[in-house]
Amino acid sequence: MHLFVITFSGGAKLIGATRMSRWIGHWGKLCSLLLISIMLILIGFIIFKGLPTLGLKLFFGDTDPLAAMMGQKPVWEGIWPACVGTLTVVLCAVSLAALPGIASGIWLASAAEKRAQKVFSLAVDILAGIPSILMGLFGFSLILVLRASFFPQANVSLLLAAFCLALLILPYIACATQNALSSLPKQLTVTGAALGMTQWQATYRLLLPQASPGIMSGLMLAIGRAAEDTAVIMLTGAVANAGLPGGLLQRFEALPFTIFYLSAQYQSQQELDMAFGAALVLLILTSIIFTLLAALLRRRNCNIFGSAKSLIKETMC
Amino acid sequence: MILVVISGLMLFAVFCFLIWFSLPVFLTETSLVFSLQWQPEQGHFGILAMVFGTLSLALISTSAAFVIALGLNSFCLLSRRRWLVVILRSLLKFMAAVPTVVYGLAALFLLLPLLRNGLQLGSGYSLFAAICMVILLILPVICVMLDNITTPLWQQYALGAQALGFSPEQTYMRVILPHCKVNICGAALLGFNRAIGDTMLPLMLAGNATQLPSGVFDAMRSLTAHIALVIATDQGSEVYNSLFAAGMILLMSSACICLLSRSLVGRN
Amino acid sequence: MMWKTCSVRLMAIFTLLISSPLIADELSAFDKMSGQLNIAGGTAHIPVMKKAARNIMGHNPNIRITIAGGGSGVGVQQVANGLVDIGNTGRALKNKEMNLGLNSFAFAIDGVAVIIHPENPVNDLSQQQIIAIYQGKITNWQEVGGHDRQIHLFSRDEASGTRSVFSKKLLKGAPLAGNANIVPSNGAMKTAVSQDVAAIGYSSVGYIDEMVKAPTYNQIKPSQEACASGEYPVVRRLYMNTKGAPNGLTQAFIDYIYSKQGAQLIQASGYIALDAKP
Repeated sequence: MHLFVITFSGGAKLIGATRMSRWIGHWGKLCSLLLISIMLILIGFIIFKGLPTLGLKLFFGDTDPLAAMMGQKPVWEGIWPACVGTLTVVLCAVSLAALPGIASGIWLASAAEKRAQKVFSLAVDILAGIPSILMGLFGFSLILVLRASFFPQANVSLLLAAFCLALLILPYIACATQNALSSLPKQLTVTGAALGMTQWQATYRLLLPQASPGIMSGLMLAIGRAAEDTAVIMLTGAVANAGLPGGLLQRFEALPFTIFYLSAQYQSQQELDMAFGAALVLLILTSIIFTLLAALLRRRNCNIFGSAKSLIKETMC
Repeated sequence: MILVVISGLMLFAVFCFLIWFSLPVFLTETSLVFSLQWQPEQGHFGILAMVFGTLSLALISTSAAFVIALGLNSFCLLSRRRWLVVILRSLLKFMAAVPTVVYGLAALFLLLPLLRNGLQLGSGYSLFAAICMVILLILPVICVMLDNITTPLWQQYALGAQALGFSPEQTYMRVILPHCKVNICGAALLGFNRAIGDTMLPLMLAGNATQLPSGVFDAMRSLTAHIALVIATDQGSEVYNSLFAAGMILLMSSACICLLSRSLVGRN
Repeated sequence: MMWKTCSVRLMAIFTLLISSPLIADELSAFDKMSGQLNIAGGTAHIPVMKKAARNIMGHNPNIRITIAGGGSGVGVQQVANGLVDIGNTGRALKNKEMNLGLNSFAFAIDGVAVIIHPENPVNDLSQQQIIAIYQGKITNWQEVGGHDRQIHLFSRDEASGTRSVFSKKLLKGAPLAGNANIVPSNGAMKTAVSQDVAAIGYSSVGYIDEMVKAPTYNQIKPSQEACASGEYPVVRRLYMNTKGAPNGLTQAFIDYIYSKQGAQLIQASGYIALDAKP
């Protein structure tokens, strides 16, 4: 086959191209092999170092686990407060970002005002690309301004960190919603209109349920992003020692920040072990989210086909 | 509708805020900020070395990641071992979920000792270490985008190209790649943006020295790490103000990249 | 050596035993209190603050004490803005900062000393040598009596009080070489130096233990005693700063640091306790 091509087109250029083409095959194999082995080494290293530390002591230190969980006794030398802090801040951020994000997504997908949409989607795109530390910087200066003007009580806190994280993940949710809605078959809207639904009814009763797996996967992605981000919370309220989060307006501990803090300045082998333990816990957390996401995506594919078929059946009847 | 307006207003607020804070810095102290020297004790507050550090980090890691991503992408399309491809694809998606601090931690105790003791390359804290990890960070971004673009194209053209007598490798190099040149550039830009914006990896691995790196094994400081370090200083001082200049440069560059990639994709 | 550590441990146990009846007394000030106390700033202070917080929160769980590092700059900035109740600094307040209405409480004396890896054979560094090293004029350990290795410089971030003391009192204002790696805290400095045979850094004397080695400075060993007597010149005070006069929980915490038990915590962290200002 090669011979055929060469004799057919002739010329040295194609011989070079053939060589180049063969080269890309080998290059691909090399890259894949390298990548897989590097990732195996990295993840294996974290598991190797973190696994032996997993246990009650890692989470609660010397405190009695039950008392610590109920928040009766402060935990020292344990990552339990950090776990709770991370979960709280992520939950807050997602609940803050979910509604505006989905709403913007719906608006972007509906073809109403072209110009405003263009500007808005550009803004969403830019926001999605903004480095996360700038979000932290924004939150920090926001608090300083608030203190100087309206709310002298404002302080860096869990709420602020959640707010900044919400800004960070809002574009992800908006984009996912938009994509999920616009990938639905056009007939759905038409059918809705034919049945005498208002646009709002059609969106709420028809489109959203159909697009929900897509939106859910967007939310999952957003949760993963919020759980791993360190730069934002570093500037907006995460501290090294705070105990369990006491309220929305107080400082908190978080897993990623704990890992960063301990890895840079561990004073004993035990603290270093804690860093690896915390890293493993965070890794497990994010991979659970990832697995859920993958499962959702798989279900979505079936769902769309299934529901589309049933819908066609319905309309035919 | 109200929610949309709210989120729009919030986006607007973020932009205005950063610009408003950094404007005075640009208006009054341009000569101070735009110089190469950073010696706060001696009154030099130049952040150009950090700008250069960020650029070299992002450029080198993006181009390396790009070449690797092309290889991976070709492997995903061409390889006959489909199970390996499935593993590779899910690994890439999984990599997108790995927290950056975990990469940083692993590199701190695997890569740095290797550079320091094994290869005798300085203290180990270096541009090189940061580049290695940033490549891992942005690989999934570029790869997943490339995969999304090239897979439909491959299904469309593979048979026809084979009928014309192309080998699969030739199809990839001569048909698929030229066809989606623009989109590939878009993917690379996205990766570039991510590389510029990452904070934790340069902060943990690059040493944060305020010099122009003269080689990849020198320590350097990125703009993002500069912000993370300098936010600790007292407000109103020149050191503190340089923070907003750095923030502004980051914001501008990421906005520009975003516009560029949009116009690229839009033209297609 | 064994004997020494053993006896130190024994002494520690004894002091604990002796002081345990006292603990109840000095902590009883916190009995009726509740609420949150935020502390941020100097990283040299963290061991003391952490131990105190542990005792207080163990005594009365209704009190929450949060501790953040960040450096002296953070301490001043956040306490002046009212973001924290106590902002720690490892240096005296500058004139500009005095005008913000801050009250300073010096509670300990600390030295700043050069640290190197324990396996590094260099035992003494003069001031000239240190200045030349940090200016980038001496780049090999051989030139100061060590092995043939390139010197890896480590320095602190711009917000650090340790850095400003080191720069002023030891380097005498000489500019720092640009290739110095920057670490964000005393703890991180110690960790970084303990991992690198060719490293040189500087940290608070309280942080020096078997993980790193402090070479003598102009033939003087940087120890607690030498700092207290003034024999070792690169010393500073550690301050707690409050905005306006402290009250309530903040006052109680400061009193606790100045108490006998507080002094023990300061001692155990490697510093020399100071008495309260009359």
